[in-house]
Amino acid sequence: MPEAKKLIVSHAPFIHDGSSIAHRSGQVLLALMPAALAGIFRWGVPALGVIALSVSSAMLWELAFNKVARRPEGIADGNAAVIGLLLALLLPATAPWWLVIAGTFLAVVIGKQIFGGIGANPFNPVAVSLAILAVSWKQFLDFDAMLLTYDPGFVMIEPLTAAKAFGTEAAARFSSLDLLMGRQAGAIGAPFGLWLIVGGLYLVVSGVVRWEIPAAFLATLIVVAAAFHLVDPLRYAGPAFHLLTGYTLIGAFFLATEDSSSPVNFWPMLIYGAAGGLMTILIRNIGAYPDGVIYAVLVINMINPLVDKIRPRALGKVT
Amino acid sequence: MAPGKKLQLVYGLAIVLLVIAVISYAGYSAKTPDPPLRMMYQTNAGKVLFDHQTHLGSQGYALACADCHHHPPEMEENWACGDCHGAPEQYDTMAETCNQCHYPSDYDLAEILKRSDAFHDQCIGCHRQYGAGPESCNACHVL
Repeated sequence: MPEAKKLIVSHAPFIHDGSSIAHRSGQVLLALMPAALAGIFRWGVPALGVIALSVSSAMLWELAFNKVARRPEGIADGNAAVIGLLLALLLPATAPWWLVIAGTFLAVVIGKQIFGGIGANPFNPVAVSLAILAVSWKQFLDFDAMLLTYDPGFVMIEPLTAAKAFGTEAAARFSSLDLLMGRQAGAIGAPFGLWLIVGGLYLVVSGVVRWEIPAAFLATLIVVAAAFHLVDPLRYAGPAFHLLTGYTLIGAFFLATEDSSSPVNFWPMLIYGAAGGLMTILIRNIGAYPDGVIYAVLVINMINPLVDKIRPRALGKVT
Repeated sequence: MAPGKKLQLVYGLAIVLLVIAVISYAGYSAKTPDPPLRMMYQTNAGKVLFDHQTHLGSQGYALACADCHHHPPEMEENWACGDCHGAPEQYDTMAETCNQCHYPSDYDLAEILKRSDAFHDQCIGCHRQYGAGPESCNACHVL
């Protein structure tokens, strides 16, 4: 016999716990702050310019589309600001202004608003935008080419590109501690592994993000990367390298967990996350691109409605 | 906070960030240092990232400018390598550069190495001479 207490549901009115979209967005922005500040500290005023332009233009695109489509203004819910900040942290510090504005247009309008606005987008808007930017203007997302003016005192070769082109001998030039602390060529915020882990764990603890997706994503990525490394240690870099380079951590904690495009049930979340980790390593190791996180996120976004069909048995359902 | 006030605050934030962005882009965009740190060559066989600083600096191989930028060593203008070492379809612009110091009868454009051959000879030749540095294609070129 089921426990009687579990079946008690009181009737309306219910008490609202005070949470809101604006509150959730604020939490995400707060969680991204350490990586954003580390990025500004590392890459200087140009990084501040990209972040400021990305956040403001994302908010203004949201406002403009709401006006044109005669929808209620959603700018105050903070979702556009989250999209803008996330996109900025994935771009190089020297990204031209028009690329940033095009990127936020693609994210806010093409990635989110044309599907019906917040909660209706099937794909992560930031991943949609970055994928289109990477295909359209790939030279501006080539971190080796974009960071030629920086001399921060460590190896300034994008680790994943080096490992893909020159094998694990090149990957060995980067220590795990350096990679964790963000001493690597890359985007404004994505290289700062430690700060992304801190921010990601904060989101998990504060209940904004469920632990299942990032845990499954990262655990699978580690296992699959280790398997490739065991098979051919000269060609494929080890799991720590893949964990701490490219968009891995920002993807697992902040991109794959986007509310609208990720599942809500326990097993679907694990399958969805695991598929993301698997796809990332497959694209990196046997695909054409050095980093696979963005495309992996888009692929798992695509299977999201399918895996979310796996649901708990309805209580009392008679088959 | 009242919704109207909150909306005003958000508009204000967007405008302030936009102003910060305009100032950052206008006044603080990254400048290429002189001499450059690294150079990226986009070629048909994939991109090549050349670490200029490592070859030049006292912490690197401490080469003199004229060891690589061979001709003419005392030139004042910063000419690109391709200004002289161009492909046949660039002979017209190459001739303009050469004629600034030479008479057309002094040289034969067809005998000047094209840029890729000049680079390959210079890079691989020096690496072979000193027994250091990459020599195979895929040690420099990244597709």
